[in-house]
Amino acid sequence: MIKKIISLLLFTILLISVVTMASERLPKPEKIVLDNGLTVYFLKNPELPLVSFRVLIPGAGSAFEPRGYDGLANLTATLLLKGTAKMSAEEIAEALDFMGARLRVADAEEYAAVYGESLSEHLPKLLQIAADCLISPAFKEDEFKKELARKTDTLKSLKDNPGSALRLYFRKAYFGDHPFGNLSTGTDSSLKKMSLEEIKKFYSSRYRPDLAIMAVVGNIDKEPLLELLNKTIGQWPKPAAAPLPVNIPPVPAPKGKKLILVDKPDATQSYFALGSRGLAVADQMSSRASLMNILFGGRFTSWLNTELRIKRGLTYGASSSFQSWKIGGIFLASSYTQNDKIGEMLDITFDLLKKAREKGLSEEEAESARNYLLGQFPQTLETNSSKAGAYLRIIFYDLGFDYYDRYLNEITGARARDLNQAAKLLPDKDFVLVVVGKGDEVRKILSKYGQFQEKKITDPDF
Amino acid sequence: MAKKLCLILIGMVFMNAVLQASFTRQDIKVHKLDNGLKIIFFEDHKIPSISYYTFFRVGSRNERPGLTGVSHFIEHMMFNGTEKFGPGEFDRIMEFYGGANNAYTSDDLTAYTDWFPPHALEKMVEMEADRMQGLIFDPEVFESERGVVASERRMGVENNNEAILYENVRATAIMAHPYHWDVIGWMSDILSWRRDEVMQYYRTYYAPNNAVLVVVGDFDSQKTLELIKKYYSGIPAQTPPPQVTTAEPPQMGRKEVVIKKEAQTPSFLVVYHAPRCQDADFFALSILEKPLLQGESSRLYRRLVRDEQLAISVYGGIEEKIDPFLFSINVKPRPGADLDKIEKIIDEELNKIIDEGITEQEYQKAMNIIRSNFYFSLQTNSGKANLLGASELLFGSFEHLFTIVDRYSQVKREDIPAVAKKYFHELNKTVGKLIPQGGN
Repeated sequence: MIKKIISLLLFTILLISVVTMASERLPKPEKIVLDNGLTVYFLKNPELPLVSFRVLIPGAGSAFEPRGYDGLANLTATLLLKGTAKMSAEEIAEALDFMGARLRVADAEEYAAVYGESLSEHLPKLLQIAADCLISPAFKEDEFKKELARKTDTLKSLKDNPGSALRLYFRKAYFGDHPFGNLSTGTDSSLKKMSLEEIKKFYSSRYRPDLAIMAVVGNIDKEPLLELLNKTIGQWPKPAAAPLPVNIPPVPAPKGKKLILVDKPDATQSYFALGSRGLAVADQMSSRASLMNILFGGRFTSWLNTELRIKRGLTYGASSSFQSWKIGGIFLASSYTQNDKIGEMLDITFDLLKKAREKGLSEEEAESARNYLLGQFPQTLETNSSKAGAYLRIIFYDLGFDYYDRYLNEITGARARDLNQAAKLLPDKDFVLVVVGKGDEVRKILSKYGQFQEKKITDPDF
Repeated sequence: MAKKLCLILIGMVFMNAVLQASFTRQDIKVHKLDNGLKIIFFEDHKIPSISYYTFFRVGSRNERPGLTGVSHFIEHMMFNGTEKFGPGEFDRIMEFYGGANNAYTSDDLTAYTDWFPPHALEKMVEMEADRMQGLIFDPEVFESERGVVASERRMGVENNNEAILYENVRATAIMAHPYHWDVIGWMSDILSWRRDEVMQYYRTYYAPNNAVLVVVGDFDSQKTLELIKKYYSGIPAQTPPPQVTTAEPPQMGRKEVVIKKEAQTPSFLVVYHAPRCQDADFFALSILEKPLLQGESSRLYRRLVRDEQLAISVYGGIEEKIDPFLFSINVKPRPGADLDKIEKIIDEELNKIIDEGITEQEYQKAMNIIRSNFYFSLQTNSGKANLLGASELLFGSFEHLFTIVDRYSQVKREDIPAVAKKYFHELNKTVGKLIPQGGN
């Protein structure tokens, strides 16, 4: 009884502080449109002499690679920093390291993104380099060869680590020929046929300022920033041709069971990934699903971690998550244990999924999940860089600047029945299960779940 | 779920000249309770959140054979029950109040890191004070947690080639000092720790006079001090733990470890004995490591990765440690790369620094990196709490954060060659190679 009163009280306190907080912590940014069509969102934050920026380029991600060219978007992004018309790769690296600045270009599925961060005093130089890399990359043959060789080697070493191998095998198994199945790491066969011509083609058709969005957060005033932007990234010319489409086919949902065993003879543990249909970023169910997942496998005391780690000591960690994109998403649960314990681990996981779907979560659990999500929220927008990321997320997914307020309101209002609706999403008969482990020890154990298709880790590709 | 990882590196770089308004010595309040508990406060009301960090002066450096890995195991057991709060209650209650936590063990210290909304403060103070001396080590939970740590070792070391090599090289380079073993401990020790021995170890090191509390964020110092007094004052001080007296004897010649195992790519590592972080030479080496191997403009990256194309990556440097530890140069070689050639190039580059030092441009670069990293870590409450605590435990005082600029600027560019010469020589060196079975 006493506990109940305390929690009601708690709830009221949270309600007040959190609901006002989202807009306080993430004030609406100023919107600036440069002459070349690039849209910039800006917030001044004078706390520290630092500035962060991000540029998001929709359509330049791995989902837009031509079939069979896994790793093309990643190589393109990497090569942007490896020389321009004005600077060699060495000069770029030297200039960045000299300032202690951070600049990288990375590819996600739906977009490529430039991440930059430095002391305010170094921002002019950093923006100048970033713009130069975006506008006039040299794409030199020798740099391409070096990066390709590095990528080929890295791919090999990824297969030495069962945890990283699992992620790659899972992605191929789950998405198959869907563009989300393209591996940013590349595959043995895609890297063999990779060419600089393809990279140049991808760059010139996919990197363009009129689709790009940018966020700048930090200790700089609007006027000097605007001047800087116009001199640098504002010079990025808008191509005459109309942009290529940036739509992606619907995310596949598994029908029935797909089971894959990857034999890694030297593995002392077996690693599993279990995936099923999830939700799009803007799905109505998203906030409820976040709450439900916190309880199922999203924090230390979650059901999965409690049963697999805390109670039984089978593993160092077990977790689940929803991964979401514009047009859909997946649910993913994973963990690892000694080879001979993988059956026990999977049995428990399936039992928990069933229990969540059928019996659901209690009101007290729902309250704990709410408090947890609301209590941890402020830190997610603590840095300049995370604020810039939040702005771009809002714009790219078309969520509206009231998104975080709405999200926190939904969280605050969610009850057990809402979470249990989301729990119905958890996999029952339709899923993809991939296990990486020592075949000789786990083959027999796994046979009770159905017919596994077997692969050897030493075979090329995934 | 990156919980309770044993951190080998506490990424902290300090600099003071640069300290601007938002974080100054004057804003830090320090208290000490009668039982010896030291408390460091920094109020910062930017976000409704508090970082509450507890540091204990205990790590794998305090262990002995048979009990290796026990500091890290106790870190796990700290979540597994006291008289007042049963196994798992700490996490359950904390999460119910909207808090989250992590913890890490290094060679030198163990840290418990909590982040929570302000209304959870009293509950957190109560629970942190409670587990400082109240653990019960329930025998069943003890066994289950032993399994978790064994799994952590299998994942972190036995299924990770770099980690296998690192463990072997460190144990070869350091023969006498307890830095000989890794934080995770040897598997045979993990499988045979006795409950009574573990409890004895806990009683010795988990005492208010062996701990430092750092609180950063949205709280009121005066009220919080009262809360802390209320819950911690009754915890008695313990006899101070024994000093670690073993000193590593000077190495007498080059050492080498070769590991052969199934792998698709080789691994390579060179280490040199290096000074403790309170030694003047530490700062010179910390400056030197930046042009040597940090970033793509560094000398070793250029030669090994770009020019000779022998490696995929290079990383390493000196670590902040209470006792003398290692300066390491990790190389991820390309499959089939000539490892002897890699070693030869590293020697050449080190010799160049011994002969000619680093350039003015490189010296400035090192200073810029130090300064910007420092600011990046000041962006969060947790970053500040970690800097304050680690500075207190490793460098002797949190005040070090505010004077360290002098330490760095006392290092002149001209001093670098002599320091390099003192440490980077054959007698001080251990080389490790992991060679894929049947190849290379």
